[in-house]
Amino acid sequence: MFCEKAMELVRELHRAAEGRLPAFNEDGLRQVLEEMKALYEQNQSDVNEAKSSGRGDLIPTIKFRHCSLLRNQRCTVAYLYDRLLRIRALRWEYGSVLPSALRFHMSAEEYNSECQDSAFLCPESHSGKMDWFNRYKKSLATYMRSLGGDEGLDITQDMKPPKSLYIEVRCLKDYGEFEVEDGTSVLLKKNSQHFLPRWKCEQLIRQGILEHVLS
Amino acid sequence: MFVSDFRKEFYEVVQSQRVLLFVASDVDALCACKILQALFQCDHVQYTLVPVSGWQELETAFLEHKEQFRYFILINCGSNVDLLDILQPDEEAVFFVCDTHRPVNVVNVYSDTQIRLLIKQDDDLEVPAYEDIFRDEEEDEEHSGNEGDEGSEPSEKRTRLEEEIAAQTLKRRQRREWEARRRDVLFDYEQYEYHGTSAAMVMFDLAWLMSKDLSDMLWWAIVGLTDQWVQDKITQVKYVTDVGVLQRHVSRHSHRREDEAHALSVDCARISFEYDLRLALYQHWSLHDSLCNTCYTAARLQLWSLHGQKRLQEFLADVGLPLKQVKQKFQSMDVSLKENLREMIEESANKFGMKDMRVQTFSVHFGFKHKFLASDVVFATMSLMESPEHGSGTDSFTQALDSLSRGNLDKLYHGLELAKRQLRATQQTIASCLCTNLVVSQGPFLYCALMEGTPDVALFSKPASLSLLSRHLLKSFVCSTKNRRCKLLPLVMAAPLSAEQGTVTMVGIPPETDSSDRKNFFGRAFEKAAEGTNSRALHNHFDLSASWRRSPQQQPPPPISDLRPEVVLAGWQDTPASPGWGLQGGAAWLPHAQAVIELKAEDRSKFLDALVTLLS
Repeated sequence: MFCEKAMELVRELHRAAEGRLPAFNEDGLRQVLEEMKALYEQNQSDVNEAKSSGRGDLIPTIKFRHCSLLRNQRCTVAYLYDRLLRIRALRWEYGSVLPSALRFHMSAEEYNSECQDSAFLCPESHSGKMDWFNRYKKSLATYMRSLGGDEGLDITQDMKPPKSLYIEVRCLKDYGEFEVEDGTSVLLKKNSQHFLPRWKCEQLIRQGILEHVLS
Repeated sequence: MFVSDFRKEFYEVVQSQRVLLFVASDVDALCACKILQALFQCDHVQYTLVPVSGWQELETAFLEHKEQFRYFILINCGSNVDLLDILQPDEEAVFFVCDTHRPVNVVNVYSDTQIRLLIKQDDDLEVPAYEDIFRDEEEDEEHSGNEGDEGSEPSEKRTRLEEEIAAQTLKRRQRREWEARRRDVLFDYEQYEYHGTSAAMVMFDLAWLMSKDLSDMLWWAIVGLTDQWVQDKITQVKYVTDVGVLQRHVSRHSHRREDEAHALSVDCARISFEYDLRLALYQHWSLHDSLCNTCYTAARLQLWSLHGQKRLQEFLADVGLPLKQVKQKFQSMDVSLKENLREMIEESANKFGMKDMRVQTFSVHFGFKHKFLASDVVFATMSLMESPEHGSGTDSFTQALDSLSRGNLDKLYHGLELAKRQLRATQQTIASCLCTNLVVSQGPFLYCALMEGTPDVALFSKPASLSLLSRHLLKSFVCSTKNRRCKLLPLVMAAPLSAEQGTVTMVGIPPETDSSDRKNFFGRAFEKAAEGTNSRALHNHFDLSASWRRSPQQQPPPPISDLRPEVVLAGWQDTPASPGWGLQGGAAWLPHAQAVIELKAEDRSKFLDALVTLLS
């Protein structure tokens, strides 16, 4: 039946857990687009025929194909848009440098300098996801720099309002030296506990090297 | 040097700095550490906490961290050795030592800048005077070379020379006398090891001084003190005095409860003073189990024998408790029985020869369901820290540290289960040792060795559990034997430590007397014996620290016929404050009533022989 491939794309994203980005299903997308092309061509020929020979019985078929085309478009747009939202969430989760595994799941990197909006709304052009990510990153950075006076404000820190300036953390694996803001460093060994400024530890907590100790 | 004003000279100094905390592995140190952590968190002092369980770990950790920190705080480690010599710190490093081990090393006392002791001076310290120990290197070169005098008579020169020689001989003799006196003074001072005020109480005092004490901190101080009592580290008199001190704090914290208008919510921690039974964990266990597994009752009633079991039944009948009730969980016992339980048990206990059935202690309530006695928490935390199920030492340390927080009650309950297992294993091992007559008299001391295949022997590889076992064994043995002389002997106990390395841990317990002042002489003895026999021994635990000596020569392995890898002798250490890794089988004076050393299994027998000769 028509539109099944597109449904599969949507289902694939639906199945993926919140925040995870599955690999870009280039194959599936290509099949959907081919299907759309085939439908469109069939429709073209039928419309011409209907106009020329006045065959009214072709009109329901044309309408049906048109609906499938629209449905395919909706599905692919939904697929691509959802992926973009997930990529945006990745920026907030992981910071500006993405782990390589995630980068692999994104589509090809073509560093077009198309405007951001068009990349957002015209997914058929296959402009790279990486490209989109880079531009989003840049846009976010510009925005952050514009806040807070001269130095800018890093709004990706402290997503939840912090309760205290310093937190107690415990080291789960040997990490080595870790520099604190006044230039001195702390040696992070397994099972040592430290009391450090919150914002310095957040990165390491996300990476799983430190563990916040609640008492 | 001793710090007189804790707040100005310690807290305000470290408040603006980053500090490194070295915490030893015992419950008192854990409690002191929690109190200090709470204070630091309140004032945003950046600190790093490193758990250490022995001298080697302390040294390694110090080497790793010394570049990054200037201020170091040592809790329950380091006061009884020459720290500067062992750690070799930089000039600007400052050490704050809060330690219960006594005697405090004289170098630590008289070092002016680098070592600051957080010890109350009203503890009976008896530090020898400065002049008796240190002597400025006066110029003995009292320039006697006045031969080149111009224009003096030869006869005058000769008399002057004679006078000079006489003066020098006199000085030399004085110096020799001074050195002999110094050796005596130091020997007397460092002969016995014992413990001072709990570190947790010292930290609580500091918090109180700054008006930052909370009831949580008070509870930790109570647990620290109770730990000292459970492990027999302090005398009964001192315990009662310290309980009095803490009771004043408890009444200060709890007077708010009596005012109905401002009653605290049920979830807040409420600490109260109790004059409660001495049975271990009895509220979390059944009364019967608790009676069987508490050393005090098990020893007095001699529960390892059939006769003892009958006595237990008689005891329960005398109290008036039906057997069915006593064997079920304490919480499900009839309320009518629980009402006057303590008084009834005390009365009957007096008839059966157990005069000190009740002891002054504290308990804490929060919520509707959670009630703990201080000794319960001590047993739970001790079992968590020494349980063999966690991989490395530091994992168990973090578990134990977490269990002291109020939010981690599940860990505390887990610790209680482990403690029950430990107590049961202890009693079973004692019963088997006594029934199979494993405790033999070696002349000047009693000796017992645990075989490799004994069930639960893995539970006794750590020093605190082994010393608990040994002390209980000695008490039970004293109750069971009819031999008068044996009752006054100390005990040396050995247990296998590591099968691959063939090492054993040895513990020495001083003799059981009513008025014991908890001073242990085994440290010295162990060290001497180990030296004498060239056994390969390691005094790693902080209690042995006084005899920590470094011997660079490797000894060839002696030919040993029958090696039982069980006995690790705690040796006597009597070299005062000489740092180093002693390759001796001697036991060091343990600050508390035991000395612990680790020894190669092969060296055990000759070590034992040396010990016998030394002590007889």
